[in-house]
Amino acid sequence: MHAWLVNAAQWLQNFPLFLWLGGAQYAYPFVQLTHFTGLSMWLGTTLAVDFRLLGAGKRFQTASELSDALFVWNWIGLGIAILGGFSLFSIAAGGYIDNPAFQLKLVLLIPMALAWHIFVQRKIHAWGQTPDTPRVAKIAGFIEIVLWVSVATAAVWIPNY
Amino acid sequence: MLRLCRSLQEVPWIVTVNSSAGIISIVWLVHYLGIFLLVGTGVFVNLRVLGVAGRRQTISQLSGSLFPWTWTGLAMVIPTGFIMFAGQATTFYPATVFRIKMLELLVAVAFGVIVQRKVPQWDRVATIPAGAKLLALVSLVLWIGAILAGLEVPAWLPI
Repeated sequence: MHAWLVNAAQWLQNFPLFLWLGGAQYAYPFVQLTHFTGLSMWLGTTLAVDFRLLGAGKRFQTASELSDALFVWNWIGLGIAILGGFSLFSIAAGGYIDNPAFQLKLVLLIPMALAWHIFVQRKIHAWGQTPDTPRVAKIAGFIEIVLWVSVATAAVWIPNY
Repeated sequence: MLRLCRSLQEVPWIVTVNSSAGIISIVWLVHYLGIFLLVGTGVFVNLRVLGVAGRRQTISQLSGSLFPWTWTGLAMVIPTGFIMFAGQATTFYPATVFRIKMLELLVAVAFGVIVQRKVPQWDRVATIPAGAKLLALVSLVLWIGAILAGLEVPAWLPI
């Protein structure tokens, strides 16, 4: 399994597009920009809903209304983040696959946070009809914030290995 | 000014924070999370003014919910950014790429403030004026440009 992963990583890294993106001084920051712009859209809109579940901004709209308004760009943001993230990974795939912080982020934390996000988004119509959210919604919002902060923590730790 | 940078760089707690992998990672983490809040919520309000997002709600409703997080993000970015700057102040201060980043952020924040102040006017009219859309577009480009300017700093400086 590991040998197969190493081969796949090498193959990806030697792909002409990723060789070029990694080699050109001007290109790499734009790849990072794609990842960061997507993440900003994704996390900015996700966390805003979580804070609303916790009780912020009650006078503007219900949690359900806010979540519906942000929904489309929330997922567009994730799409852009994945595009940028995949490119960043592919430029130096061999270095990432054995990095424990990257493994933790990709294999455990992101799937957990993403599953929780979908759960919250599906439940929000039940929880978020009134200005005040039920206790369970507050706990769910708090858990989502913790999960995404964990993802970001693992990401920040990647260069330390 | 360079002398001031040198003494800033030698402040004991600045040295401690910047030389500990654990502590500086937390500073980076707060800086990144601040960027995400700042840009994500700021850009969304601009998209709403442009008419491509959240059209079932008024601009005031959305900006009321989102702008507090834009400024919370800014409040996270500035002190953490200062700590990172202080650690290598003599490298950053004279560098053109760093000065461009600071200028870019300043202009982006100024446009963000203008958009926020104009929102109540735009809600009183039936169709959003073209000038408002242009302003929102400029603000959107400036927020994303601020991220790019930030990413260009390590690309050009030997850190």
